[in-house]
Amino acid sequence: MRTETLDRSRGGMWPWLGQRVTAVVIIVTIMIHLVLTHFVAIGRLSFDDIGARLASTAVLVNDVLLLVAVVYHALNGVRMVVLDYGFSGRGARRGFDAFLWVAGVVAVVYGVWALWVWVR
Amino acid sequence: MSARERETANVGAGLWKGLGMWAWILFRVSGVVLAAYLFVHIWVISQGRVSGAETLDGLFEFFDRPFLVFLDSVLVGAVLYHALNGVRILLMDLGIGIHRHKAVFWVCMFVAALAVWGFAYKALPMIF
Repeated sequence: MRTETLDRSRGGMWPWLGQRVTAVVIIVTIMIHLVLTHFVAIGRLSFDDIGARLASTAVLVNDVLLLVAVVYHALNGVRMVVLDYGFSGRGARRGFDAFLWVAGVVAVVYGVWALWVWVR
Repeated sequence: MSARERETANVGAGLWKGLGMWAWILFRVSGVVLAAYLFVHIWVISQGRVSGAETLDGLFEFFDRPFLVFLDSVLVGAVLYHALNGVRILLMDLGIGIHRHKAVFWVCMFVAALAVWGFAYKALPMIF
């Protein structure tokens, strides 16, 4: 087996594993998210309709879990694409990684903050 | 040629062709599109808190037009393609079905198509 395929300049082992673990989490949570939103929706898509769904703790947990997993998965995916074309130098890659971590944490915190308008 | 160059020179040879190439290209394109949509989605839903219920309902009303519902359906298609091709990749990583990888691909695509049909069935009355 080739050892360089998982080495740092190609992304590293942990991001590779993280992408797969979050993929499994997303497949389950996004299915629940989409089916609840589009098939068992209580009414027309609206502020109150979202509130009715998020009143259930299980749905809230599902959506927060989906948010965390999908933000990681999306930014890690963008990182994979970008590393295929550039940022392969150590310094550039570290700077890019730091930027993505900050962007990801900001997106998750902002997303949870936004959802809390429906949590009482 | 250094040892490292020699080792990596042939990596990916034979991958840039056929079904696998298209599966990979579509996986990347759908991934980038979904990543972009994710941040728009977070922004839109956050308007419920930033600007209030009326603004959010106004946005939903704006989205309720045939072309945008159609784009929503395309998005669901991108999600399901990305998800089911991802399942195929996970199976290959685990060594499941490697010897029948093309059959695994088409089974995954069949499942994706079935699911897309389910969503399209719901969306069609809103488009036409």
